Amino acid sequence: MGAKTETEKLARVRLNFFACYKSDWLLRLMELYGGAAELLKRKAAEIAAEGGVMMETAERLVAQTREADPEKELLAAEKAGVAVLTVLDEAYPELLKKIYDPPLVLYVRGDLKPVPAAAIVGTRKATPYGLRTAARLAGELAASGVAVASGLARGIDTAAHQAAVEAGGVTWAALGTGLNDIYPWENKKLANRIVEAGGALISEFPLDKGPLPANFPRRNRIISGLSLATVVVEGGFESGALITAKFALDQGREVLAVPGPLDSAMSRGPNHFIKNGAYLAENAADIVACFPPEYLFGLKPFGAEAVKSPEASALRALSPDALEAYNVIAAAEGGLNADEVTAKLAWQVQRAAAALFELEISSLLVSRGGRYCRAA
Amino acid sequence: MLSKLNTLCLKGIDGREVLAEVYIASGLPAYSVVGLPDAAVKEAKDRVVAAVRNSGYDFPAKRITVNLAPAEIKKAGTHFDLPIALGVIAASGRLGKKPPARFTDTYFIGELALDGALRPVAGVLAMLLALKGRGVTAVVPAGNSAEAAISGVNCLAASSLKDVASWLSGENELIACSAAATVQTSSGSGNDFSEVKGQPFAKRALEIAAAGFHNVLLVGPPGAGKSMLARRFGALLPPMTFDESLETTKLYSVSGLGVTGRLIGERPFREPHHTISDAALIGGGSSPRPGEVSLAHNGVLFLDEFPEFSRPAIEALREPLEAWKVTVSRVRESVAYPARFLMVAAMNPCPCGYLGHPTRECACTPLQVHKYRAKVSGPILDRIDLQVQLSAVKYADWEALPRGESSAEIAGRVLKAIEIQRKRFKGGAKANAFMAGAELRRHCALPEGASAVLETAMNKLGFSARSLDKILKISRTIADLEGASGIKREHIIEAVQYRMLDKAAALAAGF
Repeated sequence: MGAKTETEKLARVRLNFFACYKSDWLLRLMELYGGAAELLKRKAAEIAAEGGVMMETAERLVAQTREADPEKELLAAEKAGVAVLTVLDEAYPELLKKIYDPPLVLYVRGDLKPVPAAAIVGTRKATPYGLRTAARLAGELAASGVAVASGLARGIDTAAHQAAVEAGGVTWAALGTGLNDIYPWENKKLANRIVEAGGALISEFPLDKGPLPANFPRRNRIISGLSLATVVVEGGFESGALITAKFALDQGREVLAVPGPLDSAMSRGPNHFIKNGAYLAENAADIVACFPPEYLFGLKPFGAEAVKSPEASALRALSPDALEAYNVIAAAEGGLNADEVTAKLAWQVQRAAAALFELEISSLLVSRGGRYCRAA
Repeated sequence: MLSKLNTLCLKGIDGREVLAEVYIASGLPAYSVVGLPDAAVKEAKDRVVAAVRNSGYDFPAKRITVNLAPAEIKKAGTHFDLPIALGVIAASGRLGKKPPARFTDTYFIGELALDGALRPVAGVLAMLLALKGRGVTAVVPAGNSAEAAISGVNCLAASSLKDVASWLSGENELIACSAAATVQTSSGSGNDFSEVKGQPFAKRALEIAAAGFHNVLLVGPPGAGKSMLARRFGALLPPMTFDESLETTKLYSVSGLGVTGRLIGERPFREPHHTISDAALIGGGSSPRPGEVSLAHNGVLFLDEFPEFSRPAIEALREPLEAWKVTVSRVRESVAYPARFLMVAAMNPCPCGYLGHPTRECACTPLQVHKYRAKVSGPILDRIDLQVQLSAVKYADWEALPRGESSAEIAGRVLKAIEIQRKRFKGGAKANAFMAGAELRRHCALPEGASAVLETAMNKLGFSARSLDKILKISRTIADLEGASGIKREHIIEAVQYRMLDKAAALAAGF
C-alpha cells in the first residue's frame, strides 16, 4: 500500500470518529474533495459553503475529527486482533461496496471468508416457534456452506448465530457497538464462539463505542448489505428486523419471510412481507434458490425438504411415559411447565420428573424460564 | 448497715446468679448503683423509692450504695427492682437486727410499680432454669407465676413488695407458682395442605424439605401460592420434643414475647418483613436480644420477597444457616443465641414477576432479571438445597384440580423419614441436609447406572460440581421418604428437578 493510500486510510479512520446518524453525506463530501485526507484539511466554513452542509454541523465535524487519534486506534485494533478495513482494502467485502452508503471503516474480528451469505433477522422477543425456526434455517444454511449474517441481538439473532456455530458453519455478526464493547453482555461468549468457528464480528463503529439506540438501526444495512438474501423470521411492525428487510430491498437484495401464526403479534412483520410478494422461506433450499446463479458454485447440495417433526427414531427411543409427556407438551402452543404436565397427565410428581428429565436430556425439549417447549 | 440478697440476670439466653448488696452509710443522702448496670437498672432508683414509701416503709435519707456482683456481667432489665428494694428495707433494719433467715437460698426477681405492686418481667423462665436441681426457692411476680412453674424450680408468687417483706419476716406465706391450664391448640383449623390446589412440585419439595431439613427457595409469579404453602409448611414438621419446646420457650421468654405462661408446643413460624434490618434479623442491639432467626429456632423462618431484603440482612444469614447459632459480640460481652431454623425463601422469577407466565408478558430486560437474581448471592444459594418453580394457576384449571393430600398424611411420611435419619446419625438433631465429605460418600453411594445420569445432567443441563452434592443429599431424603435403604436412579432424577436455578439455561436469563 502506497504512502498516499496509507494517509487516506488514516484520514478515513479519523473521519469515522465523527458521530452522525447517516454517513451518506460524508461520502458525498469525500467525493467532492477527492478523499477524506483532503476533506479534513478544509476549514469548517469552506465545508459549509462548498459542501452544502450547515455551519454548525461542519464545525462539529472539524472539532470531533481533530480530537480523534487514528494511529492509536489502529494500534489498539492490532493489539485486539481486529482488522481495520476501508473500501481501499482488498479484503473489504465486495457486496458491501455495492450498497448506497458502504461504511467508511469496517472493524472485523475473525475471518470474512468469501462465501455467499444470507441474513436471518427477527425480533428480540421471539416465541418458541420463532426461535426453533431461526435455529433450523441457520443450521441448514451453515451446513450447506452459506454464511449466516445477523446482529447478535437477543432472540432470533442469538438463535441463528448459535445454530450456525453448532452446525460448524460460518456466521457473521454485525454489531451496533464498537468491538471492545459487545452488547448485549450475555452474548459475549457467543461472540467468541463465532470467531473461533471461523466467523466474524463486524462493526463500523470505533472500538470503544458503547451501545447507543441510534446506532442499531444503522448497522442493519451492513447485515443486509453483506447478504444475498434476507430472511425475516419474526417481528412486529416496529421491529428492527423490518428495517433490515427494507434496507435489503433498497440494496436490491432478495427478501424472504417465514410465515407465522396469524394470532401472534410477532407474525405481523413477516406475514406482511409475504402478502406484499416476499418469498416464503420454509427451508434453506428456498433461501438459496434466490441467490444469483454465479454464487451457487461450491455450495453443498441438499434436498428441499418440508419441515419435519423431530426424528422418528428419537421418539421411538423414548420410554412410554416420556413419549406421553412429549405429546402433551408438543400439543401446547406456548409450552407447559412441570406442574401443568403433572396435572394434565394426572401423574405423581416422581413420574413426571422422570419423564421430563428424559426428554430434556434427549434434546427433544428445551426449558425456558421453567416452561418446557418442544425443541424442533 | 449491709444486706445481701440473691437475684438473677440473663447472659444470652442463660441465667446467671447475681448477688445484690445494699449498704447504707451515714452521710449526705445519695444513691448509687455499681456493678455494670444498664440504664433501666439505674432508673430502678425512682421506682424503688416510691415503692418502698408506698408500702409503708421509710426510705432512709442516707448514703445508699447498691452493688450488683459479679461486676463483669452486664446487668440489664427491670427485675432488679425487687431485690434492691428488699435490700434497702433490710439494711435500714426494718426486718429485724439480723438479716432474715429466708434471705439465704432464696432468689428474688421482679419489677416494681410505684405503689409497690410487682409487675411481670421478661426472661423469667430462662433465668430460673439456671437454678434447676439446686433445691433453692425463687420469688417471682404473680404475673410470671405460670411461666415460672414450667422451670421446675420451687417458685413462690408474690403480688407486692409488702407481701414479700412480710413473708421474709415470717408474718405470712406466699403461694407456690402453678402451671397454667393447658389450652388445646386448635390444630389444622384453616391451615391444611389439602387447601392448596395444584403446585404438585412445590408441595413435594416442601415434603422433602421437612423430611431432610433442607432449606427451600420457592420461585413463582405473584399469586401462585408461595406464602400459602410456606404458612402450611410448619404442619409437616414432626411435633416438638420437650427439650425443643423448652429451648424455644426460653428464647421467647428472653425476648419478652413468652409471658403467656405456657410451654410453646407448636413450632414457631416467623415471617419478618423484607425491610427488616440485619440486627433485627440476626439479633443484636446495645444490650443484645435474640433476632428473628433465633425466634424461629426449632421452627420455620419464612422470607417472602427474598431478593428485596437488604444485602446485609441476606448475607448475615450465612453463619446461622451454617452454625445453627448466632453470636452477638459487644465491647463488654458476647452472647450466643441458638438458631436452628428451616429457611423457606420465596421470590418472583423476575422483578415484574411474570417471566415464564403462560399468558402475561414479562416486562423485564434480561439485565434486570440477572440483577434481581444476583441479589441472592452464591454463598446463600449454596445453603439452599431445594429450589422449585411454582406456576401460575389458571382459574379454569384451578376449579378442576382435586384437593391435595392433607398435612397429616404428608407429616406421617416425613416422620418416618426423620426416624430413619435418627438411626443413621445415631440420635442427635442431625439431618440429611448437614451431611458433608465422608458422611456424604458413605450414606449416598450411587447405584448402578446413576453416575451416568449425573454426568448427563452436568453436561446437558450445565450443573456444577457443587450442585451435585446437593442432588445427592436430596436423593438421600427422597429415598428415606420411600423407606429405601439405598439411593435409586429415579431418586436422583427427581432430585435434579429441584435444582432449577443451577441449569445453565436459567443462568443465561436472556432468551
